[in-house]
Amino acid sequence: MPNNVVELHDISRVYEMGEEPLYALKQLTLSIEDGDYVAIMGTSGSGKSTLMNLIGCLDRPTEGRYLLNHKDVFHLSDDELAAIRNTTIGFVFQQFNLLSSMTAIENVMLPLVYAGVDKEQRTIRAQFALQQVGLEQRMYHRPTQLSGGQQQRVSIARAIVNKPRILLADEPTGALDSHTAEEIMALFDDLVEQGITVILVTHDGEVANRASRIVRMRDGQITSDSRIRSKNEK
Amino acid sequence: MGFRELINIAWQGILSNKLRSSLTVLGIVIGIASVITLMGIGEGAKKEAEKQVQSLGVNLIYVRPGAASTASISQGQGTAPTLTYEDAKAIKDTCPSVDEVAAQYQSSFQVQHGEYNTSTTVLGTEPAYPEVRNFHPARGRFFTADDMKDATRVCAIGDTVREDLFPDESAIGKQILIRGELFQVIGVMEKKGANQMTDMDDQIFIPITTGYSTLFGLNTVTGQAVKMVLARAKDGQDLQAQFQITNLLRLRHGIKSPDQDDFQIRTQMDIMQTAQSITGVFSLLLGATAGISLVVGGIGIMNIMLVSVTERTREIGIRKAIGAKFGDILWQFVLEAIILSVTGGLLGIALGMLGSDWIGRFANWTCIVTPYSVILAFAVSFGIGLFFGIYPARKAALLDPIVALRTE
Repeated sequence: MPNNVVELHDISRVYEMGEEPLYALKQLTLSIEDGDYVAIMGTSGSGKSTLMNLIGCLDRPTEGRYLLNHKDVFHLSDDELAAIRNTTIGFVFQQFNLLSSMTAIENVMLPLVYAGVDKEQRTIRAQFALQQVGLEQRMYHRPTQLSGGQQQRVSIARAIVNKPRILLADEPTGALDSHTAEEIMALFDDLVEQGITVILVTHDGEVANRASRIVRMRDGQITSDSRIRSKNEK
Repeated sequence: MGFRELINIAWQGILSNKLRSSLTVLGIVIGIASVITLMGIGEGAKKEAEKQVQSLGVNLIYVRPGAASTASISQGQGTAPTLTYEDAKAIKDTCPSVDEVAAQYQSSFQVQHGEYNTSTTVLGTEPAYPEVRNFHPARGRFFTADDMKDATRVCAIGDTVREDLFPDESAIGKQILIRGELFQVIGVMEKKGANQMTDMDDQIFIPITTGYSTLFGLNTVTGQAVKMVLARAKDGQDLQAQFQITNLLRLRHGIKSPDQDDFQIRTQMDIMQTAQSITGVFSLLLGATAGISLVVGGIGIMNIMLVSVTERTREIGIRKAIGAKFGDILWQFVLEAIILSVTGGLLGIALGMLGSDWIGRFANWTCIVTPYSVILAFAVSFGIGLFFGIYPARKAALLDPIVALRTE
């Protein structure tokens, strides 16, 4: 019996745009095992970003059931969803989304601030997270003083600092050159090895091939779902 | 999430745009400083008025005759010759709470000394007058009980009269003519200036008994009429004195019900209250004017906070994505607004105190900053931050994180 950390049943997400309802997701069903490494592929408009937002609890489905960690999140309040994002999910974005007024370590500490962790603990854990992504030399630099690859490392450190179950990455290498992209992908491999479930959205086949499982989407539905290597195989 | 963390986040927001934050603070600084200064000016006016009323003499009770009516037309307070010199003497002799009494009767006459002449008020009164009025001779002396008894022709003259009649010589010991009657000047009064009713310096003081026998004449009905009796109450006995005088005069005049009173009593307290209510309105108007600039400052804060929320939409999205709750974002922006306005408030209080000090020093106007106005200004600046900050903060906290993250 697999332990599914994400279970989506007949999920639809409908946007009311004028007369015609627009289905971003149409009765989609998807399960993701704990510790898996999943790539979600699709062209722009295929619904993959909407799916990401739903899994990441940034959005709610119009219909269907979403069990995160076996818990139905449909009826949770905005604040409860915020708490889940804070403790269970880490986000990595294509545009890094760091706060430019803060140093690297302050950015990494931010989720811990909202989690109510005290300053001493925050510093220790943020330093550790930055070490994991190999940025211990750049802790007190601001994002503008860092290269794209380094900024993405900071954002990965921020995503993992609160020890999430799931890491959601939306085109994490989209803004990086191929060499730097390779380094970032290697980091994801490490995280999977540590047992974190990594879900990444990409349209780059090479990036997707690093994952264990590839889910392809079109028009808000899954068109193919293939496992290319077993869960823990390198 | 702790309060200190929230303050810290808000503070970082303020520091991220120092120029804009300073300009916003400036709006509040000016508002609060003007409130402090203008309220100080108002308070100064109040103290000034109190001082003036005090200078008329303390614990004073004014007793005046009632209105005379001719064919049912009232001629105004003090026109009826119902109050007499005998009444004044009775007040002094029988009212235990009354300390000193000075009856007075005044009239305007032409006075002359050599080639100089002027028209002035001649006030017949009693030796207690300088004490009761807190108005003393600067040179020479006031008349005495002996002068009263003998009805001697002596007078003390006000400073204005002295200037008019004796421009370049000493007045003491000289003879002057009042409506052709010869009087000797025995004293020159100190300079007092004008109060609400009369120019105190443009008067000549004579014994009231001399006045009756030479200048004023006798009223055929009541004998020696007086236009006012000044009574000074013993300390803290104003009310008792007022009560005793009222009863005594009702008894003497055979009055059975209060609406038949043929006299009128006013205390220093009444006059003080009138003065205070006038200056109170003055203060309020000044404060309200300054309040308008505070509201403008508050709108400035709201404006800047709205701009700030719009500019930092993406930041808000990021914060929400990594777990900021509604309250976290709300407080971040509310506290930012409060810190801005309270900082402005504190600087404004300092500037206002400085301004009041300058006005006091250079414009020669008493300007008093009360603790009350400082506390008020502080509370108001806090309230402004809260009031004008809450709408932009709510807007920020309600942002949809997905939309916010997509914003450039």
